[in-house]
Amino acid sequence: MKFFKTPRRLIMLLAASALLLGIPAAATAYADSATSGTGWIRLAHLSPNTPAVDVYLYSFGNSDAQIVLHHVSYGTVSPYEAVSAGDYSVAMRASGASPSSQPVLSTSVTIQAGHAYTVAGMGPESGLRLAVLDDDLTTPSGKSLVRVIQASLKDQTVSVSFGSQTLSSKLAFGTVSSYLTVDPGTEMVKVTATSGGDASQSETLAAGTVHTLVVLDGANGLEVVNLEDAAGSGDVPAGPAATGFGGTAPHGPSSPLPWLVVIGAGSLLALAGGLRLRRRPQPGI
Amino acid sequence: MPTRRSAAAIALAAGLVVVGGGATGLLLTRHATAAVTPPPVGTDALPAPTGPIVAPPQSANPRPVAAPVSLTIPVIGVDTKLITLGLNPNGTLQVPSTTAVAGWYTGGPRPGAIGSAIIVGHVDSYRGPGVFFRLRTLKRGDKVYVRRADGTLAVFRVTLVQEYPKDHFPTESVYGPTPDAELRLITCGGTFDSTTGHYLSNYIVYAVEVK
Repeated sequence: MKFFKTPRRLIMLLAASALLLGIPAAATAYADSATSGTGWIRLAHLSPNTPAVDVYLYSFGNSDAQIVLHHVSYGTVSPYEAVSAGDYSVAMRASGASPSSQPVLSTSVTIQAGHAYTVAGMGPESGLRLAVLDDDLTTPSGKSLVRVIQASLKDQTVSVSFGSQTLSSKLAFGTVSSYLTVDPGTEMVKVTATSGGDASQSETLAAGTVHTLVVLDGANGLEVVNLEDAAGSGDVPAGPAATGFGGTAPHGPSSPLPWLVVIGAGSLLALAGGLRLRRRPQPGI
Repeated sequence: MPTRRSAAAIALAAGLVVVGGGATGLLLTRHATAAVTPPPVGTDALPAPTGPIVAPPQSANPRPVAAPVSLTIPVIGVDTKLITLGLNPNGTLQVPSTTAVAGWYTGGPRPGAIGSAIIVGHVDSYRGPGVFFRLRTLKRGDKVYVRRADGTLAVFRVTLVQEYPKDHFPTESVYGPTPDAELRLITCGGTFDSTTGHYLSNYIVYAVEVK
């Protein structure tokens, strides 16, 4: 008896430990595998009195530029480029300068998988710097996320609203507001400068999208550029999708129950008949 | 009592016949049917569609894109029109009512606009393969073409094919915001639960627009 019990216990123990080990492994296997090791970067020139520049993106330790944007002028924001996660450096040179010349400015940026960054030349030419901004890629369900970059030198302090919602109050030149969650819709974006300038234009911020509003010096007064940083489903479906009916799935044997019921009923019938036959006919009275 | 005896004999005979029939039925249905697996993919089963290709969207003032009308995946022989899908009353994603066509979710971005567009198709019907039967055989780098109502094409490149148990559905990476134009193709797979009539997993193909 003892001989048989021990292996069974051992098997149960092995099965239990495999289950314990297996559960956390399975849970982590599905986390964040979608990003497949890439992040995004875009480059911008937001310094009003700085002439056009050439912008270079280098993978860390590689002297050959991965991306070169030529003659980037004030107000330009490039599309996002998908790049492998890792360390990079961004360099700005005067437009047309030799790629081997000393850059005017450079900065390093660490790109994490699944994250997006804006590297922007900001501030006045005399104090030009490269700012690395973390761009948010999440929105609360059914809402829109928006922030403001103040890049107007003419009107150094601005307040920005979207409809009745204040996005930033007295934002200083060369700074960026925090993201704010807003109700989606089409509303007037109003920019009011403490120095008296203003701008107003209709903009749509859809549910499930992330935006950056850039306040720029325009030819006449202030200008607002509405950047759609990212978009997702405005109305996020609940749970998984039911997309199959099993016609190509392997099928186990169907339930034997109906056939067992038939066999049982047939047996009863035959048994009843058999018993009846065996019983001797009663002698007549 | 000859009539009683003959009735009993009939009952005995009928009972035996029923038992025999039941036993035959039982034996005939005890075998299992194997999974139907997609045939191996060689060269493209279909030619790549041709048409004007519009550059991927800029984040500054992105141009609006036309609604998608058809989907072609040459390497797995998929060529289907796209119907429109919304949400069911319980908030889950609608799926096409026929297994022969795919659909796109109108609550998400359009293919080629910023964000991930959602396209859904059945892996099979009750009888056999559906429009996305071979979706799970796609590989990184395979091309996916979406034709839009204005005749333009959006071209995508597969980056990842992943199976998820339905209770681990990656809502954020499927429906969450992305900064570039992407595509998510969704179908079912894994183990089929015949008690609920549903597969236990979803296959998701991640693709990004080709520049």
